[in-house]
This record gives sequence, structure tokens and C-alpha cells, in this order.
Amino acid sequence: MTTFILRRLLITAVLVFFISIISFFIITLTPGSPYPWGELNPKISESVKANFRKQFHLDEPIWNQYWFNMRGLFTGELRSIKDGRPVLERISERLPATLALNLCAMTIALSFGLLVGVYSAKVSGQWQDTSLSTVAFGFLAIPEFWVAYLLIIGLTAGFAVPLMGTVSHGIIFPNAIAATLDWIWHLALPATMLALGSIAVQSRYVRASLLETLREDYIRTAQAKGLSPEKVLYHHALRNSLRPLITGIGSLLPALIGGAVIIETIFAYPGIGRLGYQAVLERDYPTLVALNFITALLVLLGNLLADILYAIVDPRVRLE
Amino acid sequence: MLVVILVTAFLTVISFSSDRKNELTIGSIGEPTRLNPIQSAESSASEVQQFIFESLLHFDENLEVETLLAASYTQSQTTTLRFQDDASAATALSQIEAARDSWPQWTLQEGHVDGSTLLLKFSLPGLDASESIFALLDAQATLPFTTLRAETGGKARQVLTAFQALEPPPTIIRTWFDYDAAFEITVIGDGLACQTRLDEFLAAQKLTDVTAKVIETRPFLAEPMVNFLLRRDVRWHDGEPFTSRDVAFTYQSIMDESVASPRKPDFDLIQSLTTPNPHEVHITYRKPYSPALNSWMIGLLPAHILKDKPIAWWNDQFNRHPVGTGPFKFFNWKTNESLRLVRNDDYWQGAPWLEAVVFRYLPDPVSIRIAFMTRQTDFWGVDPWAVAAFRDDPRFQVFRYPANQYNYVGWNLRNPLFQDLRVRTAFAHAVNVPEMIKYILYGNGVQSNGIFPPHFWFSDPDLKPIPYDPAAATRLLDEAGWVPGADGIREKDGKRLAFTLIVNQGNEVRKDIATLVQDNLHTVGVEVEVAIYEWAVFISRFINKLEFDATVLGWSTGPDYDAYQVWHSSQTNPGQLNFVGFDDPDVDALLAQIRQEYDPVKIKALAGQIQKAIFEDQPYLFLFVPDATSVIWKNSFRICRPDGQGGFVDTPVEITKAGWSYYMQWFYRPEFSDNLPGGRETLQP
Repeated sequence: MTTFILRRLLITAVLVFFISIISFFIITLTPGSPYPWGELNPKISESVKANFRKQFHLDEPIWNQYWFNMRGLFTGELRSIKDGRPVLERISERLPATLALNLCAMTIALSFGLLVGVYSAKVSGQWQDTSLSTVAFGFLAIPEFWVAYLLIIGLTAGFAVPLMGTVSHGIIFPNAIAATLDWIWHLALPATMLALGSIAVQSRYVRASLLETLREDYIRTAQAKGLSPEKVLYHHALRNSLRPLITGIGSLLPALIGGAVIIETIFAYPGIGRLGYQAVLERDYPTLVALNFITALLVLLGNLLADILYAIVDPRVRLE
Repeated sequence: MLVVILVTAFLTVISFSSDRKNELTIGSIGEPTRLNPIQSAESSASEVQQFIFESLLHFDENLEVETLLAASYTQSQTTTLRFQDDASAATALSQIEAARDSWPQWTLQEGHVDGSTLLLKFSLPGLDASESIFALLDAQATLPFTTLRAETGGKARQVLTAFQALEPPPTIIRTWFDYDAAFEITVIGDGLACQTRLDEFLAAQKLTDVTAKVIETRPFLAEPMVNFLLRRDVRWHDGEPFTSRDVAFTYQSIMDESVASPRKPDFDLIQSLTTPNPHEVHITYRKPYSPALNSWMIGLLPAHILKDKPIAWWNDQFNRHPVGTGPFKFFNWKTNESLRLVRNDDYWQGAPWLEAVVFRYLPDPVSIRIAFMTRQTDFWGVDPWAVAAFRDDPRFQVFRYPANQYNYVGWNLRNPLFQDLRVRTAFAHAVNVPEMIKYILYGNGVQSNGIFPPHFWFSDPDLKPIPYDPAAATRLLDEAGWVPGADGIREKDGKRLAFTLIVNQGNEVRKDIATLVQDNLHTVGVEVEVAIYEWAVFISRFINKLEFDATVLGWSTGPDYDAYQVWHSSQTNPGQLNFVGFDDPDVDALLAQIRQEYDPVKIKALAGQIQKAIFEDQPYLFLFVPDATSVIWKNSFRICRPDGQGGFVDTPVEITKAGWSYYMQWFYRPEFSDNLPGGRETLQP
């Protein structure tokens, strides 16, 4: 097991190195370059431009630029071209809001997915199952931004209720409970919208996996022993059918800090998605380098975690 | 359970949403990158900085220059002439003394001789008077002044100090550094000998590829001066008094390489800035440049906080937690969400009435609109198409005033297709601008008559836009030899009258303009292909490389008559702003002249000539000057502002030449009027 983990970590390091090179070149070879002075500013002179390029090493060969960015990333000295602040600070200040949103969305997605999945497996083939499946496929097919805008239009047209950002502004709340509820309100809307698609996916997974398990021999044995259908379903079948779900946790790691550009934009939510999107538009190379690097690392570590969890949950799997 | 929480939260929020705080909330799409007036160039930053930082001068509500942190200022000029010998200088002075009658007209105050140097002191800067005086004198007896520039690529100060040690003292009379990357020296005479010595010296320094260039030779040195007297009652937000040290520090920081200030070009013409005492600043310029005064509308930085701090500290600390002298103090900034300023109770003009000004950063026009409609922001720069609905709604108040910008189609004059004035004029006749204003701006704008929007004081009101006249367009194209081909598109010598019009992604107005231009020109037999590119690509691949046929763009300018960068023929290289390649020696001369002119009457005359000459040549198809439109909730604010005589004036929110938001710092909410500091007795009904 230890050898396996060490070997995988080594491979991860090599992979991250190559990913960092490829992503750096994709970023910097995109047409356009950083231009922080607004649209065609007549007041900017050549010496100001040259000095700017020098400060951010933009006048150097691309390999040197790669080296400055990577070295800066590891020493924490890498600074954004946009505002000159350390990129790690810019990313970490977004973490609380991003984590809150993604955790909330995941909780909603998993709990509702499980609930709906188990229920449809239980009533499989009947009209409830068919209609739930239709709804699930519907949510998979409908773009989330469309649903989000419908929701916003409905809420604002009917009630003029604040729903942008993380808290309401300019309103007097009498106590901390009301203010907390305000925060929950602002979190719940984007989280629900973010979770809609996942609920559909998770419920289909759970349903399929549960139905498969229910066809196993040991289930028939349990039923033959005279156990109640509830006991068979929840105690014997559900546990085993959740294996694919648990190992899927590996892919949750990058998703936890990953941005949701569209939903964050619609709800003006200050998450990592908008940070990355703005960095692309502004050609803020250092921020993009850091974001790409962290995401790649988390994906690879998440995969590793999934493999390990799989081995722990399923004793038949041996890691060599 | 989730549903219960959601419903409770919803009910809570909705039940309290009518209790408003004594705050002003502004919704904005653009977020500042840093709050530092000398490091930021974007309007989103100045929007916030206007509450925190203050400048020596500012525009009053009629867009005229007014003092703010300066108590007063005076302008003057010293003109230096150098003669072959002491006797000629004395003769020249006596000649000038003889013409004493003309002194008031020249604004000449005094003249005196120092050896072979003649110094003339004027009460108004400019070149005209000095030139008339020079014409009276014996030009043969004078020595010219020559300015040399050497690009050292760093160590400029070190190199020049070493060179000066070798050079006999009287030769170099002025030095100036462009960061540490280059230096400029002014020497007496034609400068050729000095240039040779400098080249030899630079070669000996092993700076082999560096040579000195003569950049200017002038018969005399005209050096304008501005003296500012500062207010004594101003304090920084941390209680320190504001002094001339802060002005000097701000200037030094702008010229500092590590600060990388985009505002540096505005200050490049300063020869020296001295502070004889804590309340006075003396500034000498290297040559007459009248727009330079407006550069003192820059927000000033606190020397006691920033001095000797590394630039990383500026970025990490100060630029995120700025300290100024303005009516509001910085409180906090949550990136991509909000920025909060709170009342400065010690403000020198008296504390504002609002407790806080809050900026909310929203990602797009839709969220801005939603935030406004849910009363999360107090006003909205409403899109032209939506204005009508709000104008008829009694809940709202709509403001409309001309924006400081104009939109145009720029023809790349290097392309043979656009070199015929008849063709360009035909295009102007063929494009239906009034219809554009009607359908794109919903009537919120006026047709443009050239490079200065009609509401600027120096704009020429007699210049009429080219009328929509497809028949005239057809006639002009026929005259120019472009005749319709088999497919209806005009041809000449086997070449089709077809080109690509490029537009940047994300600007709906420009995209609509391109579509209408395409359609209008097609009816007179011109084939236009529209191509849309993302901004960074648009600029770097096409505009900066000058590789385009035609483009839809707009210029946003302050009320600034200096159009040198956009129209002078020296600015036509790749990456420069005269990207259409306009080249007219007469306009070049006018552009050079107007920036040296200090007399408003002459400025207006010159601006009119420039505007007319450019308009008649049609390098752009001038389209329209749009209106800025804003909507606020009716009666949500009133203004109570100092009247300048120690009292206050109470008015509703009204439009001024500088926009409806000019007095924003003095807004108050009527429901909080009992809290107006200073008592209500001072208010006039």
C-alpha cells in the first residue's frame, strides 16, 4: 500500500510538471497580452508600457517567463498582473465563499440524489419512477442558467427580494439570527441551482446501482429468510450499492474549490470561478498559472484518494 | 427541512428589506484593481477614489477648473535667452525696455540680464509673446538651446553624473530623467560638440549601442511655472496634517520606475517641483503645455504613510486600505462583492450626511438591473432601450446628459480603397446616422460633428454633420469610378468595393452599428463583411498592427482639447493611436500649437480649426455622441452642500454640466434629515 501511494505521488509530480508546462503555453500563446490601462488610453507613453513589461518579465523569452511563474508560485512571491497582490492571497480570500457554496451544493445534490434514487429504485417500473426519470432527464437537459434566470425573474418581479452576492446591503437587520438567515438565503439560491443537474445525475446512479444489487443472490437469500422488504432494501442492498458513490468522493476534491462561472456570475457570487474568468479576460497570467496548477494537483490527488478509498471499502481490491 | 429554512430565510429578508440604512449604494460592473490615484487608470477606480482622495484642483459643476486642496494658484513663465556676449544681452534688454508700451499685451512683468543671459518674466505662460519679443532682437547675436536624449537602458543617473563631471559646467543647463532608462540634457548652442563628446563617453562606458540624439533645438527656453498655495485646514484620515511634502511625494512617486504610474506622461514636462515651505509648491515646466494644469486633478498620496515603503507594501496594504483626505474614509473591500466607505467626521468642508457609501460589484448588466430593482443599489446607469419605461414610471427619476465620448467608423487610410475623399464622403452620405440614433440609442444621443462632442466649450457649433443622402452617395461613387458590377457590388479596374469591418466582442452598441453600416452600404453597392473579435485579440492582432480595413470604435475623453496622440502624423506607427493613418501637415501644426496656448479665446479658435480640418477630410465616419442615462428611485435623496460662504444649500438631485452625480458626497436621505449634522437652521427651504 505505502509503495503504491509513494509511486503514485511520484507519477503525480511528473504529471503536474507536464500539465504546468502545457497549460502555461496555452495561456501565454493565446492572442492578446495584458493591458491594464483600459481601452486605448491616449495618455500611456512608450516608456510606461516598457516599464510595465519589464516589471512582469513580459519582455523575456517564454521559457524564462515560465520559470519566473513557477518559482514565484512555490515561493509565494507570484503576483497578479492586475493588482500586484500575491496570487495565492487572491485565491485564498475566495476560498470561504467558494467552499460554502460548493459544500452546500454537494450536500443538496447528494442528499436529494440519494433520496430520489432510492425512491425510484423502490418503485421501479411504476409511474412514479417514470415521471421522476423524466424530471431528472429534464434537469439534465435544461441549461442551469436558464432555470436560474427564471427563478430570479420570478422572485424579483413578485417580491423585490435581494438575492445578489453573499449578503443584503443597506438593510437594517435587528439581530444576528436575521442576518444569518439573510446569508443562508443568499447561499441557498445559487447552491440549489448548482445542485439541480447533480441531483439528476446522482439519482440515476443510485437507482441503477441499487437495482443491480437487488438482483444479487444474497438479496434473494435475505428475502427468502423472511426479512422485511425495508430491512433488505436499506440494510443489505443500499450499503453495497453505495460503493460507486463513495469512490466518487475522489472527484469531489477538485470540485470543492472549483469555480462555477455561470452560476457565480448570475448570482454575483464572489467565488473562484469569477476570479478565473476575469483572469482569462485580462490575460492575468500569474493568476491563471496558479489556478491551473492547483486544479491539476487536486484532480490528481483526488484520483489517488479514490483509489485508496476503493481499496478500503472493497476488500477484494488489492493495491500493488 | 431545507425548504423550511429557505422559506424562513426568504420571509426574514423580505420583511426587513424596507428598513433602509443611511447609506448610498452604487452598483458597478467594473471593479477597481487598486485604490491608488497614481497607479490606476480605470474609471471604476476613480469612481471610488473621488470619495477618498482629493487633488489640488478639480472641475466645478460647469466643468471649469476650481481649486480644492489648493487655496489658490498663479501661473507665470520665465523665458531665457542666451547671447554671444554680455554686450549683446544688454543691448537686447534695452531694445525690450524701449518697447515698454507692448509689455501689458505681452504680459511681460520684468526683464533682467545676468552676464550673457537675458531673463524675461511673464504673468501668463505661452510662446506667442516670447516669439514676438525674439523677433525684435538681433537673432544673429543669440545662441540656441539644444536638447539631447540618450537611452541608457538603466543607470541613467549614474551615467549622466559621470559625464557631467567631465563636461565644463556652463554647457549643460538642464537635465531630466525618463525613469532611470534615459536622460535628456539641454545645452547652449547647436549641441553638436556636446553630442560627439557624449557619444564618445557612452562608448567608453561600454554602453556600445547607445547614442545621443538631438530631439529639439529652440531659439530660447520658455519655462512656465505654477505656484500653488495650499489649504492649511486639511488633515489625512489618520489625523496628520496635509502639507506640500505630500504633493512633492506624489510627484516623485509618479516619476518612480517601480511605481509604474500610467499617469507619468502627464508629468513628464515638469523640470522641477520645489516646496519652499509646508504650504507652498512651486512647479517649473520644461516647455509651454497648457493641459498640464489639469494633471493636478490627480488624487494626492500621504507621504507620511508611503514614504520609504517598498512597492509590494503599496500593493498589499495601502492600495487595499487607502488613506486620503476626502469626505469618506475607507472601511473594507470584499473583492468581487462590495467596497465600503464610511463618513469622515473630520472632513475639512464639514462631515457628509450619509453614514456610508457602498459600491457593489456585479458581473453584468442583468445583475445590475436586478440589484437596482430589488433596491440593493440606489441608482442604475440604465441602458438606452430601457429608459422610456422608467421615464413614465412615477417611482423613478431619470437623468439624461451627453456623455464625453463619440462613436465612429475609422477607415484605414493606408488602404487604397479609402484614399479617395469622394469614397469616404459617399460612405458618410450612405449611412443613416439619425436612424442609428433612433434604433440603437432609442433617441438618446446626437449626431457627431467631429472630434469634439458638441457640449465641450471649445467645440465648433457651426460644423454640420454630413446628411443622410443615398443619392449623393451613389453620385460620388460613380464620380470616383466605382460602377456597379454583375452582382450589384461596385467595381473599379477589376477590384470590388468590398472590405471587412471589425468590431470588438462584448459591446452591443458597436455590434449594432456594424450591422447597420453593413446594411446601409450594401444599398449603394458596397460589400461589407463584419468580423467580431475578443478585445485583446482585436487590439493586438488588428488595431495595433494596423492590419484592418475599417473598424467601429469610440473615444472617451475628458473636456480635453489636446488631440495630439490621436491625430498627429507622428502617431501613426504600430501600437499608436492614430491607427487610421491620418496625415495632414496643417493639422499637425495646429495640434502642436494648441497645446502651447494658454488663452481660452485662442484655444477655442484653434480647436475649431482642428475640428473643421479633420471633419472635412472624413478619416472617420463620425457617428454620434450618446447620452449617459441614469435612473434613481424618486425622492430617495436630496442634496445639502456647502454654498462656499460658510452656509449650506439644500436642493433636489439635479443635473449639472458635470452630470447628476456631481454632488454625490453631499447626498442625504430625507428620512434621515433630522440627523443632518450642523443643524437644519442652515438649510434653505
